[in-house]
Amino acid sequence: MKRIIINLLLLILAFTIQNCVIPLIPFLSAAPNLMLILTFSFGFIYGKEAGMYYGLFAGVLLDLFYSGPFGFYTLLFINIGYFNGICTKYYYEDYINLPLVLSLVNELIYNGYVYVFRFLIRNRLDIFYYAREIIIPETIFTVVTTLIIYRFFLSANRRLEEIENRRG
Amino acid sequence: MESKRSKYILIGLSVFCILLIGVTSFVDGFLSPLRTGMGFFLNPIQSGINKAGTSLYNSVSNYSSLKNAMEEKQVLQAQIDSLIEENSRLQAEQFELERLRDLYQMDQDYLQYEKIGARVIAKDSGDWFQVFRINKGSADGVRVDANVIAGGGLVGIVTDVGAHYATVRSIIDDVSRVSAMAQQSGDICIVGGDLTLFDEGRLRITNIAENGDIKDGDRIVTSNISAKFLPGILIGYATDITTDSTRLTKSGYLVPVAQFDSLQEVLVITELKEDEVTSETAEAEEPAESENAGEPETTADTEGE
Repeated sequence: MKRIIINLLLLILAFTIQNCVIPLIPFLSAAPNLMLILTFSFGFIYGKEAGMYYGLFAGVLLDLFYSGPFGFYTLLFINIGYFNGICTKYYYEDYINLPLVLSLVNELIYNGYVYVFRFLIRNRLDIFYYAREIIIPETIFTVVTTLIIYRFFLSANRRLEEIENRRG
Repeated sequence: MESKRSKYILIGLSVFCILLIGVTSFVDGFLSPLRTGMGFFLNPIQSGINKAGTSLYNSVSNYSSLKNAMEEKQVLQAQIDSLIEENSRLQAEQFELERLRDLYQMDQDYLQYEKIGARVIAKDSGDWFQVFRINKGSADGVRVDANVIAGGGLVGIVTDVGAHYATVRSIIDDVSRVSAMAQQSGDICIVGGDLTLFDEGRLRITNIAENGDIKDGDRIVTSNISAKFLPGILIGYATDITTDSTRLTKSGYLVPVAQFDSLQEVLVITELKEDEVTSETAEAEEPAESENAGEPETTADTEGE
């Protein structure tokens, strides 16, 4: 229970950092997608169903914050949580390669989703421009950030588990 | 079975989301209490983090700017001397201008609109959209479709209002369309944001009539016929105007006045265009005038999507 609450608080923290702090840093041309990292890490560590609910929370948070059709992000994030949860059978601790690959794939899916449903649909066909200027920088940043965040997220969750086990 | 159950939940949730997307694409609004509730909860956190981040950033940048300031001071001192001289000359001309304006009853500067200041507290995550959030909401008199300006130029329009926050879509956003006109000639055009031009700091101007008189360097302001934007707000300056291949219209680029990369404080005009239109219609005595005000505008459907 405590673990769930702390994980949700972590998500809200990531959300505010992403919206309020990262835009202030002038030399960052692209921003890492912290919400995405947390969602797929959670799914990867705890399995499909947990990942799905975590994705639901992350998606609702994003949808509530931005105007536009409600459910746009929720749909994507629950699916990301779920499908990364499938990979949980390959999960073992201190294994960083697979999370990095997952991060890359998820980021491409996320950006592809936004591009297709918000831009291509309005006849913006210049996909190479968007790929070069937005998708690739953001993907690189996110993958690099995954290196740091995933480690931190994993150790934080492991510590929480320890505390819970000791009590139980 | 656990995995089967979660699969059903996933499918159920996905379908529910798709339905919600479908419904809210057409009727947006019944969710606004939910969004407002969210704002109540998140805004204090965002304001706090924003304040901490800003002060940290400012103290770092203050130090580096202090060094530059010393050098600049020397240069500026020289400028002041020449400006004082110029100022006294301009003051004389200002009086003349005021007299002439009175004469022509043309004091239609947008300084007349009621404005309130607001602070930018959050930006959209990622680079796809240029949407930001300010810390004033319906409690302060901000309403949907209120115009937002900064640095003397148009910045955007309020798309979503909560009690103590409002979401602003800036004019550089890819979906933004503003009906505009050249201040000198009064020719109508459309100013649209374009993500591919974002890096160059430019916007696109389209739909200028072929015989329209818009030249490079012309001041582009919001037009009188716009449904949502108050008339006469400066947007920017036209550049690179060329004739389209169809030979029916001209298009070009616009350099905005407002600095979008360093937006921190903005002004929200609390007056709405619709208010003005309705009050004008009520006041208008001549039938011709009321007809003008109520005239359906051709650009309304492309705007504010």
